[in-house]
Amino acid sequence: MVLVYNIYIFDRHCQCIFYTEWNRANSPLAADAEANRNSKELVRGNQVLTGDGASSRSSLDGQRPPVWPTTSSSTARRISAGSSRNTAMEEEAKLVYGVVYSTRNIINKFNGKDSPQGGNPGGFMSFATSTYRLHYYEAPTGVKFVLNTDVNTTSMQPVLEMIYRNIYVEYVVKNPLFAIDPLASTPIENDYFRAVLNNYIREISSAAMPTA
Amino acid sequence: MAKQYKAIGEEAWKNSVEKVNAELFIFTYGALVVQLVRDYEDCSAVNAQLDKMGYNIGVRLADDVFARTSMERCRDLHATAEAISKVGFKMLLNIVPTITGWSADSREFSLVLDDNPLNDFCELPPRAAQEGLWYSNVLCGAIRGALEMVYMQTEVWFVRDQLRGDDTSEIRVRLVRMLDEEVPAGDD
Repeated sequence: MVLVYNIYIFDRHCQCIFYTEWNRANSPLAADAEANRNSKELVRGNQVLTGDGASSRSSLDGQRPPVWPTTSSSTARRISAGSSRNTAMEEEAKLVYGVVYSTRNIINKFNGKDSPQGGNPGGFMSFATSTYRLHYYEAPTGVKFVLNTDVNTTSMQPVLEMIYRNIYVEYVVKNPLFAIDPLASTPIENDYFRAVLNNYIREISSAAMPTA
Repeated sequence: MAKQYKAIGEEAWKNSVEKVNAELFIFTYGALVVQLVRDYEDCSAVNAQLDKMGYNIGVRLADDVFARTSMERCRDLHATAEAISKVGFKMLLNIVPTITGWSADSREFSLVLDDNPLNDFCELPPRAAQEGLWYSNVLCGAIRGALEMVYMQTEVWFVRDQLRGDDTSEIRVRLVRMLDEEVPAGDD
């Protein structure tokens, strides 16, 4: 049984354009949603918490895990006072990116295959701590997928490839309204993408554990 | 290596791609160009607009091609040229342009299209030909966009076009420079 904790998607500009979680304690999104609720700010369906917002938060109403970033809390847009940027989440995304970026670069260097164009010739796939395993997949165009699962899961490479090929490319890249800007980053705010990703991860989680 | 790309391209064309009616596609593209010419009335503006549209298509095409095939990024411009011709064009338009005209420093090459499907049913009025309209300029933009997604900054332009009376259509691709991957901003 694979337990998937969360997923980050980073674009070519080192920005986190998508984050969602399914099973996570102490999530920075929980605190933020609490604050949102209290201040009666406009909250989209996907971000409302029905649970007691206590430390442990498994996907609340079972259907809609919270998603970040959203334009109501977009890092690029909100300038007004009392902005609803989730700084904790931003910091975390930056840290995660830094970790995978540096790790990938070291591995490339060890293999003698580092280049200023990046890519993953060294083949960084995952690392594990005592509590979770992080899986990494980089598409040839520079989009990076980071998936955290329980420690016992061996390889999620096929899963990540599937997510790239059949979900990201289908619903994000091929969406003409998703801006692909050589300079700026656009968060993924696409209900189809979220729904399909959700369903896929749930299927994976309840299917047999993938073997390496 | 060339054989490998050929095989990948053909396999992708046969299995991975949904086909659309060629005539519908050609007529739609033709209507698009006609509308642009009417709106802008200046052929170089139309060329620029077609290139821009092609660029937006191209940035998405790169991901699409990688998703459908199991290719990795090419190591040099020769491999890239082969991939564009034998995989990209084959998969998307079912034509395989020939690669010629390599410059001495291997930073430029030409794609020669003997039978550009977009040119079917099309005849350029003499005014358009005189003013320098490149009918299929969207292809140039698409190549440029797609290469930018694999960290190559290029210039792509038409050299000859069958619609303008030349015997074949030729697109020239020049590698300006390799782009570097972005580095995350440090904490200042």
